Amino acid sequence: MVYTLENLKNDLHGAWAITRKDLTIYYLKPNIYMSGILFPLFMLLAFAVGRNAPIITLIPGLIAITALFSASSIEPVSIPIERRTKTFDRLLSAPISIFALVLGESISGLLFSYSICILMLVAGAILYHLSLVSILILLVGIALSCFTFANLGTVFAAYPTENVGEVMSLLNLVRLPLIFISGVFIPLEAMPSWGRAVSAISPLTYASDILRYGFEGVTHVGLVTDIVMLLLFVIIFQLIGNLLYKKFNE
Amino acid sequence: MNAIEVTTLTKHFGSLVAVNNVTFTVPKGEIFGYLGPNGAGKTTTIRILTGITAPTSGTATIFGHDIQREKLTARSSMGIVPETSNIYDDLSAWKNLMFSAELYHVRKSERESRATELLKTFEIYDRKDDKVHGFSKGMKRRLTIAMGLVNSPPLLFLDEPTSGLDVQSNLIIRQVIRDLNEQGVTVFLTTHNIEEANLMCHRVAIINRGIIAAIDSPERLKKTIQSVQAVELALEAMSADIIEALAHIPHVNDIRREGDKLRLYTEDPGSVVEAAMAYLREKHIRPISVNTLGPSLEEVFVRLTGLDKGRKNEKTVT
Repeated sequence: MVYTLENLKNDLHGAWAITRKDLTIYYLKPNIYMSGILFPLFMLLAFAVGRNAPIITLIPGLIAITALFSASSIEPVSIPIERRTKTFDRLLSAPISIFALVLGESISGLLFSYSICILMLVAGAILYHLSLVSILILLVGIALSCFTFANLGTVFAAYPTENVGEVMSLLNLVRLPLIFISGVFIPLEAMPSWGRAVSAISPLTYASDILRYGFEGVTHVGLVTDIVMLLLFVIIFQLIGNLLYKKFNE
Repeated sequence: MNAIEVTTLTKHFGSLVAVNNVTFTVPKGEIFGYLGPNGAGKTTTIRILTGITAPTSGTATIFGHDIQREKLTARSSMGIVPETSNIYDDLSAWKNLMFSAELYHVRKSERESRATELLKTFEIYDRKDDKVHGFSKGMKRRLTIAMGLVNSPPLLFLDEPTSGLDVQSNLIIRQVIRDLNEQGVTVFLTTHNIEEANLMCHRVAIINRGIIAAIDSPERLKKTIQSVQAVELALEAMSADIIEALAHIPHVNDIRREGDKLRLYTEDPGSVVEAAMAYLREKHIRPISVNTLGPSLEEVFVRLTGLDKGRKNEKTVT
């Protein structure tokens, strides 16, 4: 069947309806806040306490891991719950494509995470008088990072279970190692060569790098590379998500 | 053009054959019942017809659109009411309907009037702004059906619509189904309530272990098993001796106690009535009522699905 402009319009409307539904229902769930805000905050404290690193060097990393944990937490909570309550079948049987479903779920992760990151940015600017090199790059970088990680969460939520804990456990198997290989707390230049090689396949590397540019005007891999790689991860996660949701629901 | 056309549909889950070479058509405007015991393949069939599950082989079309190749077009013309009331407990009835309307691309200008009409029809308009988690099971079911109708579909899939509901909800739902059908809506109904299928469906298919055992109108199906006519007696007194004696009347094939009544199954109700009345007179037992019954759709169902195997040799019930 040919995918028409009318289909695209309907899919975008459907995706936006799913996003708004998620915003209304899931943004106040305690486990989303626990995983999305408190966890990265404590992680930062664990690294920062006792070190004399200036706050400006920690903020980009904090925002990057907040983006990772908050954006990727919505779908792994909402989708298993919806499988259990059978409301997920409502989405699967509606006249919208799997693409609309994956997109809608990911946008809800993006908006949730973006608002938290901006809040942190504003709080940091007020409390620590942070000076920014490029506010535009920072806002674009946060949006791209949040969308990438939201898509990552949507991919993991495809795992066909009704148990939130199962998806979260699988997701943490990926999220936690990413923190240590992506130059967030351990600078890339201080890593062994194999560590730098592995960091190249981590989206968090490019997320923290672009945010660092926004704050400090320095980048390890280049601004264009950061943007291209984050977009590439979005496309890859979208494709994998579409494949998995199709496969697991047939 | 038929509303539904299913051709040699088969679905395997590993080594399990959930639906086996099923073929049937549902003309426009028909209420089609799909009956079968648990695990017979009813829900799998609905999931294939609604495009959620892909068949292993065979085809299904909805108003001429192949459900696999033209999924979005086919789905636009159907409303789906699953067995479980899958509504969002954290949203109000109104927001649930609005969400469903958006998923089904109902125009903004029509959404609110359609939602108001449906909430009034299902008698939940007064609670439209309340979150659904405070609703009773019957109200949730009514809202689920309302959500299935929000796009004014010409074809409605109803999976066990009245299972376990209160009388008020049952009456409302059955009346709505009849009204919709009068307006030309085709209804595909699965139910465990065989009397409901008997009363509402123009035709029924009986499916067992993934295979269709029979498709016909309820009355024609009943005629296929005339051997299970029965004489139903309500007596002032009932004891094991009386049941034993009635069970030994010639031509009584089986006797079962149904509440405060006895059913004597026979191919010759006339002679069984005579013999039973003679026995009761002799024993000075007054019958409260005597009825002869034709075979019910339930009996057809039991016969065709083999559920009577365990009771075949049963002669008396105490």
